[in-house]
Formats: sequence, structure tokens, C-alpha cells
Amino acid sequence: MSEVPLLEVRDLAVTFETAGGPLPAVSGVSFTVGPNETLGIVGESGSGKTVLARSIMGLQPRARVTTTGSVRLNGSETVGASEAELRRLWSTEVAMIFQDPMTALNPVMRVGKQIDETLRVRLGMSRPAAKARAIELLEMVGIPSPAQRYDAYPGQLSGGMRQRVVIAAALACTPKLLLADEPTTGLDVTIQAQILNLLDDLKDRLHMSVVLITHDLGVVATRTSHLAVMYAGRIVEFGATRDVFARHRMPYTRALLESSPRVANPSHTRLAAIPGRPPNLLTLGEGCAFAPRCAYASERCHVERPPLSAPDAAGHTFACWNPLTEESR
Amino acid sequence: MSETLDDLGVLERPEASTPLGWLFWVCVGWLGLNVLAAIFANVLPLVDPLYQNYNVVNAGPSLHHLLGTDDLGRDIFSRIVFGSRVSIAVGVGAMAIGFGIGAPLGMMAAYRRGRFDTIVTTVMYVFLAFPAIVAVIAVLSFWTPRSLLKIILVIGLASVPLVYRVIRTATMAIATKDYVIAAKVQGATDRRILIKELLPNIAPIGVSFLLIGIATVVTLEGALAFLGLSVNPPTPSWGNMINESRTVMSQNPWLVLFPSLALCLFLLCLNFIGDRLRSHFDVTEVKL
Amino acid sequence: MTDVLLSVRNLTVTFGKGAHRVSAVAGVSFDVYEGETLGLVGESGCGKSTTGKAIMKIVEPTSGSVSLDGADITSARGRTLRRLRTRMQMIFQDPISSLNPRRRIKDIVAEPLDCWGSATGAERDALVSDLLAKVGIDPVVYGNRYARQFSGGQCQRISIARSLAMRPKMLICDEMVSALDVSVQAQILNLLEDLKAEYGLTLLFIAHDLAVVKNVSDRVAVMYLGIICEIGPADVLYEAPAHPYTRFLLGAALEADPDAPRRSDVLEGEPPSPLNPPSGCRFRTRCPFAQEKCVNEVPVMRDVSPGHQVACHFPLVDVQ
Repeated sequence: MSEVPLLEVRDLAVTFETAGGPLPAVSGVSFTVGPNETLGIVGESGSGKTVLARSIMGLQPRARVTTTGSVRLNGSETVGASEAELRRLWSTEVAMIFQDPMTALNPVMRVGKQIDETLRVRLGMSRPAAKARAIELLEMVGIPSPAQRYDAYPGQLSGGMRQRVVIAAALACTPKLLLADEPTTGLDVTIQAQILNLLDDLKDRLHMSVVLITHDLGVVATRTSHLAVMYAGRIVEFGATRDVFARHRMPYTRALLESSPRVANPSHTRLAAIPGRPPNLLTLGEGCAFAPRCAYASERCHVERPPLSAPDAAGHTFACWNPLTEESR
Repeated sequence: MSETLDDLGVLERPEASTPLGWLFWVCVGWLGLNVLAAIFANVLPLVDPLYQNYNVVNAGPSLHHLLGTDDLGRDIFSRIVFGSRVSIAVGVGAMAIGFGIGAPLGMMAAYRRGRFDTIVTTVMYVFLAFPAIVAVIAVLSFWTPRSLLKIILVIGLASVPLVYRVIRTATMAIATKDYVIAAKVQGATDRRILIKELLPNIAPIGVSFLLIGIATVVTLEGALAFLGLSVNPPTPSWGNMINESRTVMSQNPWLVLFPSLALCLFLLCLNFIGDRLRSHFDVTEVKL
Repeated sequence: MTDVLLSVRNLTVTFGKGAHRVSAVAGVSFDVYEGETLGLVGESGCGKSTTGKAIMKIVEPTSGSVSLDGADITSARGRTLRRLRTRMQMIFQDPISSLNPRRRIKDIVAEPLDCWGSATGAERDALVSDLLAKVGIDPVVYGNRYARQFSGGQCQRISIARSLAMRPKMLICDEMVSALDVSVQAQILNLLEDLKAEYGLTLLFIAHDLAVVKNVSDRVAVMYLGIICEIGPADVLYEAPAHPYTRFLLGAALEADPDAPRRSDVLEGEPPSPLNPPSGCRFRTRCPFAQEKCVNEVPVMRDVSPGHQVACHFPLVDVQ
């Protein structure tokens, strides 16, 4: 059973038609997520992580967007799938939560009703059964006095509570995969910890797989089994989370790690900032997209794009001509 | 500096304004032609618009009378050119008054807020609640004899609350931006902030509203003329001409067609230019 | 310690009237010493940004006093106030909205000089070029570009250049890196440290990110629901927090390290509404150590060690 991955992405490429020419938001992305696994996807703005998530869901608009490659969700292809086919997959196979919970909720509809609706439409539940289940779900995501909150409007809840409601709605039909795109970015530190712990608990309780997309290495460090680092639309390093943190081979991963300030470091620790900024995807050259900012870049890096290396025994792979070694790390 | 920066190689946000397009320039050209003709109507080789030639009454377009003549034998082309003087003068004049009073008040109210804003806004909203067209008609009916100046004054004053509301709303969206606070923090005076920070950002909205406002006033003048409340005949204005022609519409359709066409084209150009300018200057509307 | 540059005493800021009256800042006092960086950290709605704005008198303080180098800001008006503000500048969270999109960046940077007429002509241009170069933006190539053409990180650099034009003694940085990507954030933080040394600046660094605050600060003040609950040297406060709230806040911080201990003691619940703050200690409704005394008595600031003060009846460290 576990031989079949829950999510299998093969050579996914998403290109936008823009006034400035084709914009390759995601290129050549492949990975798999097994049952009850958590994959972290880390990248800065413009790295393509959000486009990737939307493409997995099949949410990308069709006009002016070309999607190639394959995304198999529990065996069903979503690339090029019909609306009806996608609808079948959404919420029962896969669900997604977004950064801003307010945009995911209808502001003029009671939160309980928004969960109800999914239950009644998808699972054909009766009204009272749906309401009972919705309250159960609200309780499951840790909303105090769920029966009362059932009648609240989204505007009456705090940001953290809203995100809990969004999670409850996403989990209403017990999907096998949950895509979480920056689920805690707008939230306070203490609330962020609550939500991440909640996601972790729910994953085990409901035997889901989770794809956690974030810009914050702190979010994925202790909460994911595998980690993909994205840069300029490509996965540049992939492996077990611990491996990527401790034995990263790609200079970008290292730069990302070293440029974020740490609570554990003494104050006034000089940060190893990456010079420059993420590239313009419209004017990507032939070489490695990170080469212009990379301290290890050689001539080859500027003219030839490094492919992902063959995975080692632990499945660790990277795209670099001059990977870091034990000594240089 | 300790860090080298090569991050400025490509500008992150290139100019993304909508091109104005050739149609915009056609419209500008047509309006320019209208305005020039109105200004230089006296020196242009035109027939006297009041001269009645009873030999050619209700004639169609001909070489002598490009757009034909009316029921009194007056040259329609000449009357349209002279008539544009009234229409344009009312449009521009009234908007000059409306913006001259409404725009500074709106900017000040939105920037200062507080009691000043409360009082001015309340007064303006009271006026807004009263149908402006009825007020304009009422005042013009009793304030005789009518003259161009009175018409401009009345419409201009009636437009003040509208201009005030548009400019105040536009300013409010900008007055809370960090760069306005930053200017304050740097020690800029209120006057300097209004001129340097707020005005350039409100101007595009103001200009497009101004053009649409002129169009509205020109239409309004037409409507007033239709009710016999504009400049007194025989002085031609586009509205007057349309009004006079309605009795002879069946005999001489040219008489209603040409002034209407002139009015229509004028309004179309104004609205189009206003709309184009708005989207052209809208720097926040980023196009991917 | 050196001299006090900025002194804030019993600062309160109240918004609204009647039943909607909210004390965003409910009596805050602290000193910022010349040449140091004081970090002000707290969750959203704790009043840290309002404190910064009230110091600059961008929002009117309801009561209390703020003085810079002995000069009272709270009572200053008109030209005196504008003059005082040039000695203390502010950098905002949203880099894009901090700059007028319709002005050229060299004019933006020169704005303070133009306001005061302190430099004109060639001298002004030279000063502006120097400032832009200092923040890593080539004045020759980019000086004539409009602000709307720059990215977030670049805009923040331009904001910094502008704030330095009048050679202020103090900078208030309100969440200045929170809108930036990690890699750009590090550049800006390093730049800030360099400029602080070069210009002899004193900083009040307001942010919600604990790691960022620790990185730049000599001392840190923690705010909760409009009051300061703990203040002390950055390394001491992070190592041994005395206030339970500080401890939970630190425990919730996510470290980019898979071996970092996963704290199970996550703070429960959410901050109460500032419309109706709890009696006594404001943190007591979420505090696992709260007792009778915390309900009845407002804790006052007291020393736990030199320079380390806490407002808690039952601090987590031994009082010396």
C-alpha cells in the first residue's frame, strides 16, 4: 500500500504568458509525498512555491497559463483534469489552506454554515447531521465553546481562530492530503506555535499527509520529514529535513540558513547576508539561477544549468556544480 | 559599504503604464480643433451666424453652406462653431469654479481631518442631498436677465460639493500613506506636504474627473438650453440649436443632426481621454 | 551607562470614546541610552507601534511625557516640533508605501534638506549622492528613477538614506524588515548596524520577530496589552526571562534548527481585548502561575538584577 505515493509530481512546469514574454514560474519540479508524511517546501517570494501548490490543486487558471508534466493525487491526474474531476478530488482527496484566512472565508456567512455546506454537498449529509459534525470539527481544531462559535461571523473571530475555522472546513471531508500555504505567516508568534502544533496533531489523528509551504525555515525545521528548497521556480535541494539542515550541499540552502537571525545567537551577531536578490524570471539565463549571487559560482555555473543530482541512499539530491562538502560547509 | 550590491541590475518594477494609443491622440486632436475654432471663430472665414438668408431656408449641405442652413436661413456650420464657444466656456468655466473651490477644500479636509473636516463635509453633504439640477433650474429661472457669466457661476457653484467629495475621498486614501507621515516627520510644513506629496498623487484622478466633469456640464448646458434656460436666442449654443430645431425636425433633419453630432463627439472625446489618462497614470495598477 | 537620550515617562495613548475607549498604550516608561539599540518586542495589538508613533508625536499621546536630549516633545508645537523631529527619524514597515511613487529618489532623499533649506545646489546634490551610495544605491544610475520602480529592499534602503539626511541622533524603526524576504532582511539589518556605527545613531527597534530583535538590540523591552512587562539586556533577558509572558514568547519562537527543542508548553488562548483589560496583572488570564494577588494588584516594575526589571508578582528568576 505504501508503495504508491499519495502525491506524485513529475516534471511539472507552469508558464505564464505575460506582456514581457513567457514567465516560467515553476520548471521541472518532481517529488513524491508518501502517506502520513510531511513535506516542507521553502522558498523566498517569487520562488514559485505558491504557484506549485495551486497547480497541485488544479487551481491555476487555464487562460494564459501553460501547465505541463504530471501531478498524480492518489493515482488521479490533476494536470488537464476536467472541472468535474477536480471537484471530486477537492476536499475528499486534497484540501488547501491559505495564508490569509479572511480571504478563504465568506465574511457574510456564519462560520458553521461554511463548514456545513461542504458536508452536505460532498457527503450528502442531512442538515442536523452536518451541523453536529461541523461543531465536532470546530472542537477538533481547538475552538472553545464550538456550539456558540458555530453562529459567529468570520469578522467576529481573531486571526488565529479564523485559521482554525479554515482548517476545520478543509478537513471536513477528511482529505488524505493537506496543502498549507504559509498557514501562519500573518499570525503572532504564540498563535503560530498553536496552529503548527494543531496541524501536527491532526496529521497523526487523521492519517493525513501535509505539504507545508513557507518562507520561514523555522516553521519547517522540526515539523517536516522531508524538505524541498525552491529557487527561481525549481527545486534546488531535496532530502530528509535533518539532512538538508545538517548536510546541505547547495550554497543557496546554506545562505538561506545563515542569513536568518537566530534567537540562540548572541545579539549583534553579523548575519551572512546573500548579496543581491532573487532573479527576474523573465530574464533567466542558461546557467544556474543562483549563480549571480553565489560565492562558489564558477564559469560553468553561468552557462549551464546544473540538473538535480542522483539521490543518495537517504534520497538527498541537489542541483549544483560546486556542491558544498564536509570541509567547505 | 561592506556589502556589494549587484541587486540593482534590473529594476524590479518596470514602468507598467498602459500606452495611450492612437485613438487617444485622435480625440485630443479633435478637442484641440474644437477649442481653436471656438477661440478664433471671429477671424475664421465664416458667415455671420446671425445673418438670415431667406433665399436658402432649410437647405441641405452644399458648397456654400457646408452643413446646410436652418429655418431662418442661418448657416449651420457657422452656428455650430460659434455655438461651441458657449458650450466650451460653460464647461471649462463652471469646472474652474468647481475645482477652484472644491479641490482645495477637499484636500485640506482630508489632510487635516478633525473639526474642519466635520464642518465642511457636513455642509457639502447637505448640498449634495439637494438635487443640484433642480437648484440650477430654479436659480436660473428667477435670476434674469440670464447671461453666460451667470450660467457659469450657478453651474460652477452647484458642482462644488461633487468635486469636494471626489477630491476628499482621493486625498484620504493617500493622506494615510507612510510617505506622507514620513514627510511630516522630516519637518515638512503642511503646505509643502499638500503640494509635494498629495497633489501629484491626486492630480491624475483630478484631471480625469475634471474632463468628465466638463463633459457633464456641457450636457447640462444642452439640457438647460432645451428648457430655454441657457443664453438667450439668437446667440447660438449647441443646446439652443438642438432646442430650436425640434419644431422643424421633420422638414430639416440636418438641423438637429449636426449640432447633436458636434455635442456627441465632443463628449465622447472628453470621456475617452479622461478614462485613458486615469488608467495611464494609475501606477498602482500593476500589469504582469 | 552613558547618558539618557530618549526618555519616555508614563506614556498613554487612548483611542475612541465611551464604551469604545481603548488604551493602546497604558502607561509606558523607559529610557534609551545614547548609542544603544533598544528593542521593543510584542505581539500584534500590544501597542508597540503606537508607542513609536506617539514618541514621534505622529499620534497624539493622551498623557505622559517624551523628551529627547532633555527637550520635551510632548508639549512642542509647530516649528519647534518640526525642528525636534529632525533629530529623531522614523522608518516604516511598508517600504513601498514609505516613498512617494511619483517622485524621483534623489528628491525623496533630499526632501528633508529642501524642507529646511540646509543645503542647496551642488552641496545638496553631493550630500544626496553620498547618502544613496552609503545605503548601496548607485546615485548616478538610479538617482533619477521614480520610487515606484524599486523593490521592497531597495525602497527600505532609500528610506534609510532619507532618514539620515538631517543627521538625526535617533532612529525609530517600526517593523522595518518584516515585509522583506529573509535574504534581503539580512542585508538591511547588516546595513543598519553599519550605519549605526558610522553615524553614531541610537535606535529604538520595534518588531514582532524575537530573533530579529535580539540580533540588533543591546537591551530589549517586552510589551503585552499596552504595558511593558519586562526590560533588560538582550542576552540576559533571552537567556533567563523573568516574566512568564517573555518565557512563553521565547518558547514559541521557531528556530531554523531541526534539533531545537520542541516546546510543549505553548501559551494557551489569545490576548484579551484591550477594550476590557483584565484587572491586576494584564497577563494573568493566560498565565499558568497566576494567583489571587495577580487579580487584585497591578504589579509594578522592579529590579531583578542590575538593568533587568520585570513587572510581575512572581518572577521566574530570583530577585537579587
